[in-house]
Amino acid sequence: MERRVVITACSAISPIGYGRKAIVESLLNGVSGVATLREDELISRFIHSRVYGTVGYPMTYDFSRQHRKTMGPVAYYACQVAKDALEQAGLPQEFVTGGRLGIAFGSIHGSPTVQRDIYRVFFEAKDKAAYQTIGAVDYLKSMVHTTAVNISKMFGITGRIISSGTACTTASQSIGFGYEAVKYGLQDAMLCGGADEYDTITVAVFDNLLACSTSFNDRPSQTPRPFDRARDGLVVAEGAGAVMLEEYEFAKKRGATILAEVIGFACNSNGGDLILPNLEGITQTLKLGLENAKISADEVDLVSAHATATKMGDIIEAQATGEVFGAEPYVVALKSYMGHTMAACGAIETILMIYMMQEGFVAPTLNLEEVDERCAMIKHVQQVIEHPVRTAAIQNFAFGGVNTSLLIRKLT
Amino acid sequence: MTRQEIEAEVRRIFLSEFEVENPEPDVNLREAYGFDSIDAIELLLGIEKFLGSELTQEEKKQAIEIRTLTQIIDYIEELARKRGVVAERP
Repeated sequence: MERRVVITACSAISPIGYGRKAIVESLLNGVSGVATLREDELISRFIHSRVYGTVGYPMTYDFSRQHRKTMGPVAYYACQVAKDALEQAGLPQEFVTGGRLGIAFGSIHGSPTVQRDIYRVFFEAKDKAAYQTIGAVDYLKSMVHTTAVNISKMFGITGRIISSGTACTTASQSIGFGYEAVKYGLQDAMLCGGADEYDTITVAVFDNLLACSTSFNDRPSQTPRPFDRARDGLVVAEGAGAVMLEEYEFAKKRGATILAEVIGFACNSNGGDLILPNLEGITQTLKLGLENAKISADEVDLVSAHATATKMGDIIEAQATGEVFGAEPYVVALKSYMGHTMAACGAIETILMIYMMQEGFVAPTLNLEEVDERCAMIKHVQQVIEHPVRTAAIQNFAFGGVNTSLLIRKLT
Repeated sequence: MTRQEIEAEVRRIFLSEFEVENPEPDVNLREAYGFDSIDAIELLLGIEKFLGSELTQEEKKQAIEIRTLTQIIDYIEELARKRGVVAERP
């Protein structure tokens, strides 16, 4: 039995704002969330890329100590967007705790801030007192499923836990696997998303791979530049996004506001190199997504590209997108506004697509001044367009050769 | 070190570490204040600092059965007595 699945709530903490109003304003006004890399008194001085997609506004939380004690910064982000989504969805409390609501939520590697403090002890410990500063809760804060289980604890959610940790496809897998759990009747609702906190180690990894942007260190808002001729690499970022998925009839019966329907999902692996983008693998994912949604390519109005602004990645993605969707649908690269929020990007980009569906506009790819001719086979967006979006595709690709395609549709 | 000093220190730890103000002496700490195994480990570290002495694994395991503030104070008083840093009970 296949059931319809709808999105009834969403929330994002992003470098371009927290909540729908702030984010939509940033999209309409071309506001970038990329800022100068913060000094960390550890490795930041060695990093060539001096930019970071930063949540630069104050966040306040009202979590009790009972919850705070097992939470690193990444769990704060995750629990806040989860709280927002739960409040917005308005699910009855007995349903939230009743076992038919599950969680699919992840981060790329738990809380690096906490892990770094543990490493300090390893390398600097001179006596047992230093060793004892490793807290009883450090693992709970830094483990890869810390976001999912802190959400379950805070809200008493007792359904299944899925905690994907597949780098840049973490959140898109969360939504996809959550979609499948509801679609096939394993759960009636799933709270899905991803989060990542400020982390210079991640920047160092990409920096050492020569994949980070370095030419705009003195002009952070002008990078990343997906599909632009002058693009020079990705910008690491922080943030979180959560969406509530519900079985359609259940949502309709209780009078929930339906933001969009999830109509398809695909995920595959390149089965080879763990870093290089793979045209065949990506193309196949996009085709599988359409097949899963049972729609044809010409039904898609808008594509959210993964587009991290690396030299090769953008070209391969443009080729795959052009081959599968043709030149008709608009293509937007939302990382141009905030950089790459890693485990959160699939959720944040889905949420931004929902906002654009709701508001009836398509945001341009920021910093796209001169389209790289090798990426010119798709329809880029270079200024705000008033355009009704009915069906949208969100694609994400990760280190390790993992690819996802998610398709959503506005209910008419 | 007197029992009163021990109680004052335990209450200080509960306030600063666990945000519990004036815990009742004989209620179940888990039920009343959500004091759990994670907090218990943190408390044992605080006790070691207070006594200026490391607890043995055996002594730590004895703490597993503790449920109330009074039992915590009894436990520390016994540890202190073994270490010769507490006045004998009258």
